[in-house]
Amino acid sequence: MARAVDELTALLGDDRVRDHPLDQHLFAKDAGLRRGGAPIVVFPESSDEVAAVVKIAGAHGMPIVARGAGTGLAGGAVPQEGSLLVVLTRMNRIFEIDEVGRTAWVGPGVVNLDLSEATADRGLHFAPDPSSQSACTIGGNVATNAGGPHCLAEGSTVAHILGVELVTADGSTVILGGEAPDTPGYDLRGVIVGSEGTLGIVTKVLVRLTENHLDAATLLMAFDTIEDAARTVSEVIAAGVVPAALEMMDKPMCVAVENFVQAGYPTDAAAVLLADVLGHPAGTAASIELLSDIAVRNGATSVRVATDESERALLWKGRKSAFGAIAQAAPDYYLNDTVVPRTRIAEVISKTYEIAERYDITLMNVFHAGDGNLHPLVSFDAAEPGMTERVVAAAREMVTVAVAAGGTLSGEHGIGFEKRDLMSSVFSPEDLDAQARLREAFDQDGVLNPGKVLPEGSRCFDWGPA
Amino acid sequence: MTTLAVATKQLLERLHDPTVDVDAEFVVAPTSMEEAAEILAAAADVGQAVAFYGAGTHRQIGNPVDADLVITTTAMNRIIDYQPDDLTVVVEPGVTLGELEAALTDRKLTAVLPETEPNATVGGVVAAGRSGYRRLRYGPTRDRVLQATVATGYGKVVTGGSPVVKASTGYGMTRLFTGSFGTLGLIGPVLLKLWSQPRATATIVVDDPEVARNAAYRPFAVLGTRGTGRIYLGGTKEEVEAQAEAIGGRSSDGLDWPQPHDPPLRLSFRIPARFVDEAVLAARDLDATGWVAQYGVGIVEAGYDRITSDGFAAARSWAESVGGTLVIEASPDDLRRELGAWGSPPESVELQREVKDRFDPAGICNPGILPGGI
Ligand SMILES: Cc1cc2nc3c(=O)[nH]c(=O)nc-3n(C[C@H](O)[C@H](O)[C@H](O)COP(=O)(O)OP(=O)(O)OC[C@H]3O[C@@H](n4cnc5c(N)ncnc54)[C@H](O)[C@@H]3O)c2cc1C
Repeated sequence: MARAVDELTALLGDDRVRDHPLDQHLFAKDAGLRRGGAPIVVFPESSDEVAAVVKIAGAHGMPIVARGAGTGLAGGAVPQEGSLLVVLTRMNRIFEIDEVGRTAWVGPGVVNLDLSEATADRGLHFAPDPSSQSACTIGGNVATNAGGPHCLAEGSTVAHILGVELVTADGSTVILGGEAPDTPGYDLRGVIVGSEGTLGIVTKVLVRLTENHLDAATLLMAFDTIEDAARTVSEVIAAGVVPAALEMMDKPMCVAVENFVQAGYPTDAAAVLLADVLGHPAGTAASIELLSDIAVRNGATSVRVATDESERALLWKGRKSAFGAIAQAAPDYYLNDTVVPRTRIAEVISKTYEIAERYDITLMNVFHAGDGNLHPLVSFDAAEPGMTERVVAAAREMVTVAVAAGGTLSGEHGIGFEKRDLMSSVFSPEDLDAQARLREAFDQDGVLNPGKVLPEGSRCFDWGPA
Repeated sequence: MTTLAVATKQLLERLHDPTVDVDAEFVVAPTSMEEAAEILAAAADVGQAVAFYGAGTHRQIGNPVDADLVITTTAMNRIIDYQPDDLTVVVEPGVTLGELEAALTDRKLTAVLPETEPNATVGGVVAAGRSGYRRLRYGPTRDRVLQATVATGYGKVVTGGSPVVKASTGYGMTRLFTGSFGTLGLIGPVLLKLWSQPRATATIVVDDPEVARNAAYRPFAVLGTRGTGRIYLGGTKEEVEAQAEAIGGRSSDGLDWPQPHDPPLRLSFRIPARFVDEAVLAARDLDATGWVAQYGVGIVEAGYDRITSDGFAAARSWAESVGGTLVIEASPDDLRRELGAWGSPPESVELQREVKDRFDPAGICNPGILPGGI
């Protein structure tokens, strides 16, 4: 290990190689629950430097873990003891923006919101907008196939990535995809998105930019029961209207948010829906009317329509500060990220409340309802003995309920370490074996982010006839 | 094993008997993915190359494949699970685009697959990764394949992706399978994301497609053909009318897509979107009989009666010099053998080969159809 540190230091200098216990402690965790072992932390500033550190790690048999801002919620960037942790936040340049093709090449360390701000004067933005967008990086978004409220109409990160430059397990560099559509051969660009740092380190990203909307309105709809709100969501989708965003927050969440930012949310409603209608000025009025009608038909007690930019911004600030707001309730939180068919939301949510009650834990809900992407969030104090175990057990039951309703484990946070042992609840041994084959094609020796995504023993079959 | 799988296995053994001289193409039509997997396992045992056909509408795309055994998907042609309220559908690979769209009309939904190829099959379109003109607005087909089941080259049935509209659960297997041209195995049922058809649509004839694209808000498509440009709009009636007025030009209701013709030769320029006008010039220089240019997307598909090798080589090297490709999408087999269907293999060809070797270790699935002999 000392030899590896020497070589890394010779390459990057003292201040970009850290093995001080304090750094090791800081970087042993992301925004999820688990803490890992002590890594050697490096801060490369170019693709060549990434390639070089990967080769050094390879020569010393060190596992390699990529890290962006560390806001991941699945333990994806959590290192094991003795790993090389490659932090990409210094690779944060926006290289070039093509206005005609509406694309840009950017470094993986560019912060999500910075990209949209940098392209705003050209009338463009990067559509995926995770709630963590003022902190998380484009590289992290690519690696987790991140979502966000506005991915309902625009699609998750994968629909917005046209190409990547990748440093592979052996330290070589390759470009996948590109500006031209439908690159011949396999769509390895698409495979890299959502691969959580297990197939290579993304060192440059070609993003698709989306033209800004011409007109916008935000609707805040209040309901007396969760079921009414959930039915409204199902009916909106079934009507074929896909609003730009359709989010749900339950009463405990609204109360927490109101205490925190005073966004004007009702604190007496069982649930609210927040919808964004974006588009051409001649079309938004009709969509607003349609949404309000469906809400009222399903028992909405009030529908507030905000067309003024500052009023809209305030309503969205409420939604986006949800995670900050819950910190007042308890120091820790844990949330699931399951997705269920939009026809099953009401039923799954009510079972989720039952589980929380049975385990006697504090449950709040704030989620991407339009996609069926649930985020039942448990707020707790990990210092309380046995509490973490209870929370994890309850969360697992909630996952089981979602899977039984035809859902899946994660809509946007990824599998990482925290959900990998649940993978066999949604994939057969053959399915997992196929995924393991793909991983092996990129990383024969298993040096990239080992122990993440796939449960141990996924590679269960022989290679078949030779 | 099913009767068909057993019969195929016996047939394969005979084909590989050196004393038997066969010169024929055998076509089998499995009725389930398990059956297809058994046939593939038997073929892998004897190293027999297999080609896959849907309706056979795109048989000429890719490098020519030599295979005596053909698996067709025509006996897997049902719509298995239609969930209009969740905007999803599960379809078997042999269903044609025409049949699928017809089944979706009751709720005015669409799978946004190629608009002018009603006889192509869903499996074929997914395998070839083909998209329709509306990709400018809705993205390419691969963005809507949420889950896919494949009978792999090693003879197992594997499902990738998730049965919901949004997921970050495991590797993007649907991305890998979509556009894999059957080189990893036979693509079976897929779960597709649907969109609702807008209440109003219009087609406007314009002089300059690029100018019109910038004046329009999220059009479906902006196409250029010989002598005309067209922009396609969808939305509410008010929205479409307001836009038609702002753009100017002759407007008519509905989506009037360019009618496909079947030239003996078809080329596809795939270039960064800012080079579309230049690609049109390059296509014309080769004496195209017709073309459709997709503005904002970066595809120009052109038809020819004949091409010269020199002219073609120059056009291909131009396309590659701007970061694109010039693909032969239809031609007599000999021409694709001579010129190569795809051009220079992508930088990632070695990685691609690693993937191919793990899903088709015996190298029997559509061998050589992709660039780099994959
Ligand atoms: C308050 C809060 C709100 C959130 N809201 C959302 C939300 O709305 N939607 C959503 O999708 N997520 C959300 N997240 C989760 C998280 O922000 C996203 O997963 C984000 O994409 C992670 O980015 P990051 O830069 O922090 O990546 P990290 O946490 O550093 O890493 C995440 C994963 O990506 C890998 N990785 C990072 N960079 C690279 C690279 N360059 N190459 C290869 N692999 C790499 C890591 O190894 C790890 O597996 C939220 C998190 C928090 C704390």
